[in-house]
Amino acid sequence: MSNTESRKEINSILIDIVEKALGSGIIGSVMVPSRGPENSFPWTLISDVSALERAEPLPPVMSVHGAKALASFTQSPSDGRLLAVMRPCEARAAVELSKLEQINLDNIILLTMDCPGAVPLSEYGEDGTIEPDLHHPDTLRPLCRQCIEFTSKGDLCLAIHGGLSMVVPLTTRGDELLDSLGMKAESDTSAWKEWASGLGQEREITRTESTDNLQKAYNGLQGLIEAFSGCISCRSCRTVCPICYCRLCFIDMKDRRSPASEYLERSRNSGATRLMSDTLLFHIGRMAHMSLSCVSCGMCEDACPSDIPIGRLVSMVSDNTTELFDYNAGSNSEDPLPLNTFRLEELHEYED
Amino acid sequence: MIENSVLISTSSTLDTMRRLLTQLLENREVDSVFALRETRQEGRYCYSLITDPSLVSEVLPFHPVMPVQGARALSNLTITEPFDRPVAALLRPCEIRAFVENVKQSQGSLENIFIISCTCPGVIPASRLLGEERDEVLRNPDENIRNACRACTEFIPGAQADMTVIIASDKPLDGAVIYLHSERAVETAEKFDSCTLEKGPPPTELTSELLEARGKALKELLRDIPAPGDGLRSLVSLFSACIGCRGCREACPLCSCVLCDYETARTAHSPELVRAEAKRKGSLRVPSGTLQFQLGRLMHISPICTSCGQCSDVCPVDIPVSDIFIRAANLVQESLNYFPGRDTDDTPPLATFVEKELLDITD
Ligand code: SF4
Ligand code: SF4
Ligand code: SF4
Ligand code: SF4
Repeated sequence: MSNTESRKEINSILIDIVEKALGSGIIGSVMVPSRGPENSFPWTLISDVSALERAEPLPPVMSVHGAKALASFTQSPSDGRLLAVMRPCEARAAVELSKLEQINLDNIILLTMDCPGAVPLSEYGEDGTIEPDLHHPDTLRPLCRQCIEFTSKGDLCLAIHGGLSMVVPLTTRGDELLDSLGMKAESDTSAWKEWASGLGQEREITRTESTDNLQKAYNGLQGLIEAFSGCISCRSCRTVCPICYCRLCFIDMKDRRSPASEYLERSRNSGATRLMSDTLLFHIGRMAHMSLSCVSCGMCEDACPSDIPIGRLVSMVSDNTTELFDYNAGSNSEDPLPLNTFRLEELHEYED
Repeated sequence: MIENSVLISTSSTLDTMRRLLTQLLENREVDSVFALRETRQEGRYCYSLITDPSLVSEVLPFHPVMPVQGARALSNLTITEPFDRPVAALLRPCEIRAFVENVKQSQGSLENIFIISCTCPGVIPASRLLGEERDEVLRNPDENIRNACRACTEFIPGAQADMTVIIASDKPLDGAVIYLHSERAVETAEKFDSCTLEKGPPPTELTSELLEARGKALKELLRDIPAPGDGLRSLVSLFSACIGCRGCREACPLCSCVLCDYETARTAHSPELVRAEAKRKGSLRVPSGTLQFQLGRLMHISPICTSCGQCSDVCPVDIPVSDIFIRAANLVQESLNYFPGRDTDDTPPLATFVEKELLDITD
């Protein structure tokens, strides 16, 4: 990892920009991760420049998804302008959530960076020293290793590869911000773009390999049953997913409850029935709900206490559905959502 | 109550248990068996409802794992209606206690459930069984059990159990020893061949050393872990790494609300409020409400927490959730003079719960 690519360097550039924007009043507040106690990196909504002292815009781990944090206070348009510094997959989810009417992006500027990836929470927790390094995929979460959307998202992106160290505007909103900060620099971005397409190709290969392996390991419905056999129904995958925003999930609705006699019936059919018996319905239902909007961020997999490759599975399914609808989650805020309706009955035949 | 009748068998506990369950199913003494099995994936377990006697050979009675809290699974089965035919359920003491609390809150029914429990040696955190050191860990369960189990002094089942299988005991047993607590248990045992029925010492006599060790561990846990009464700062720090996955709540057998209070519009902080608060303080953690959720759950659950440790087990960032809950439960339950799961007839304190009553214990 070269010096300009180090997290420390990226963080100091990002903090400079934020400080400038907040200090000059061009923006009213900023949402960034900050360093908390016990190796934690909670998101913070900051309006006071002095509070930026603890800011760590690019933390080594992803504890809460940035779009989820953003959605917690932006359903109504914010009064002042807000700058949110987040990873590319977080910016994409923010765009998806705005289409789903969970975020109002009107007064929000999204600043991203060339993302090095994130360290798995379980490994970081040990001593808090592992650094995410895109040249060493084994430091990264499985979904980060195969991420192909690692740069150029949101309104602006901090480019640190291809010999650059500058903020590249991606939208008129981004353009305007750079203008007002007096940071607009003409520069040749071709080497940077080359870097991105090179890494993108490498990642595509990893992604294809990973999908092949998954399909081999968990083939068809029987395969899915196996994949989820260790699921303990903690539903953390759902809770941490930026796209799963329902207050009450379909699986928890009272009318989904079955009487004891029905469980016995199922048990008699095959001699035994696994409990909690709605595991598969939950996962297939969730995939059906959000596979079009999945941004492959890997939050679900990172939170899963049972080491189920849940993120890779959803992301694989998502690849297929988005291809079918020729849709790319979070890439373009103009593209309409391909599906607005979902019928639960569609899935009943998959229930075990 | 049958005083200390014991079924003694010279074959292993595993073998005896499986034969007993097969007999129960084959004689139609029960319709189904609720027990642990290994899934098709090694090292991963699940509860199953078994009706086919030939599948009993897959049952792992009291294997030291708790993939889901048994009460939660049983509540799922019986929440809309009770079993109309007997089912034999293999449950650990803390699972029974949690289920008794479920029943009190109309989240399930004990009707037709024949409970087979054990003197419980504890369970191993699921994460320790996922790695390569799995076999090693399973060979030394005592060194690897949950924190909550290490400090569990209620490892002998209460009055709801029909049978108690001696698993944990001070001295190793040769063969199986099963205490019979109900007429039905005695009837079942009388039909069971290759065993003898005797009178034994009370099960507490077989586990007095264990009780002492657990009591000591409990004291240490209570001494070392901060409680809400010790000031908010320590809790803020303990929960700082919380990722808000709510796994602790979903795994908890006692958190049975369809929609958690802290997911409702009533407790949600409005966008305007969050933004105003951030402006006022200069900086605010978002999403807000991490501690509100934890303190709220503490308030709701500490009176009825059965100290099973399931919440800690699922926490992906290793927050000692159950230690905190056990400490709070200890304080609260003692002051309310309420012991969750002891008796279905004890009125739960929350039946008459006024939120303000507990404020003095929360901060
Ligand atoms: S399903 Fe998983 S990978 Fe996809 S958006 Fe949700 S958390 Fe991210
Ligand atoms: S996080 Fe993992 S164990 Fe929990 S519900 Fe999702 S897949 Fe199952
Ligand atoms: S807390 Fe642990 S030792 Fe106590 S009954 Fe439950 S599983 Fe057994
Ligand atoms: S399981 Fe752990 S990380 Fe998840 S909500 Fe509970 S305390 Fe927080």
